[in-house]
Amino acid sequence: MLRESVTYVINRQETWKGQCATEPVEAGWATEAIFFVRGMEEAGGDLPQIRAQVSPDGMRWVDEGAAIPIPQKRDAIEFLRVRHFGNWLRLKADLPEGATCSLLVSVHLK
Amino acid sequence: MFSTDAADIREGLVQADPRLSRFDPLPRILCLDDFDRGHCGWSQLMGNYEGSLDTILPGYRNITNPMLSTLSHWDSGSHGAMDGTYALKIATRPKKDAVSVAIKRLTFRKAGPVRLEFYATFKPEATDLALSDRDLKSIGLVLDLQVGDRHGAGGERVMPHLRYLNSAEGKLHQKWQFKRRRPQVREIGNNGETVSHFHLADEGWEDLEDGAQKLCYNEIATKVNWHYFRFDFDIESMRALRFQCNDRAFDMAGFDSIRLPAMKNLWCMLNICLFAETAADKRAFLYVDSVCLSGML
Repeated sequence: MLRESVTYVINRQETWKGQCATEPVEAGWATEAIFFVRGMEEAGGDLPQIRAQVSPDGMRWVDEGAAIPIPQKRDAIEFLRVRHFGNWLRLKADLPEGATCSLLVSVHLK
Repeated sequence: MFSTDAADIREGLVQADPRLSRFDPLPRILCLDDFDRGHCGWSQLMGNYEGSLDTILPGYRNITNPMLSTLSHWDSGSHGAMDGTYALKIATRPKKDAVSVAIKRLTFRKAGPVRLEFYATFKPEATDLALSDRDLKSIGLVLDLQVGDRHGAGGERVMPHLRYLNSAEGKLHQKWQFKRRRPQVREIGNNGETVSHFHLADEGWEDLEDGAQKLCYNEIATKVNWHYFRFDFDIESMRALRFQCNDRAFDMAGFDSIRLPAMKNLWCMLNICLFAETAADKRAFLYVDSVCLSGML
């Protein structure tokens, strides 16, 4: 059986302000994930890190430990790798007052 | 006495195969999607755009990727699929009236009858310790079809829509509906090459004749039961032939589809869409165990 591999685009056309997260990714079948985060326009303000989170149920979330900067420039790309995540994954960022960004986020699972 | 009739042998083979005996396929099986084998070509429905993603019509922006799910529940663990481990999960965003759609894009080689069969179940996200049976608005299916390029004058793009309206505005409806009212087709971008229409908006739905049906929701938000669905459509006459859910087959005499003039780049299109719609600020899920699309030779 050939190994399953898939790409999901989990964030697009959303302006992030305040407490923001991608929709949950359910991927219990996968053993590895890599997220790519692309700036779709110039980000503004004091930008926090974007963090990987895991969950027991897709509803309650805790930080996994991996984190990357939010890309500030349009078309700049950051990536983040996660393994041993169980069934659920998402990315989360808490943007302070005045910070904003627009991101294209994809996750590649296998 | 053993039969040597080809039809009897075929029926015997279908019934002896556990992957197929739950279906009643027409002679040509076009696809048999078991999500234990992966996503099987089901993907996110993307709105049309030109120049910028900002040209995508708003209704398409809520649509998410279908994912492989074990129907994992916080209180009882993985429910699993009807057969095997994984089902295809179509999830809305947690925003009232959001719709999410999974699509499989094909073309046809013969304009004749096709039969779409699938096993599926549906549930709102179990964020509350409550029955929550009014939190999922609807589940449904769409075919998106267009005649071949030699059809000649009067060729159409035809989009049969069916949904099970479970609930709206806090009230259970539990009935099947169809849509024939054509949505507004809008120009996208400035090159005159791209158009788009959001055909899944919560408007223009009409009740199917005698279409009330109570399904097996079960007793808490984390118990699910698989249901059988079948839709027969003739691509030659562009008419619905039959719709069935579990033990009920519905009269399709009053059914019609959204009909548009044929578009310049969609010849012989045969797309299948399955969708879920939420009635609350809570995710709604349509889980699909398996799909069989079949047709005549």
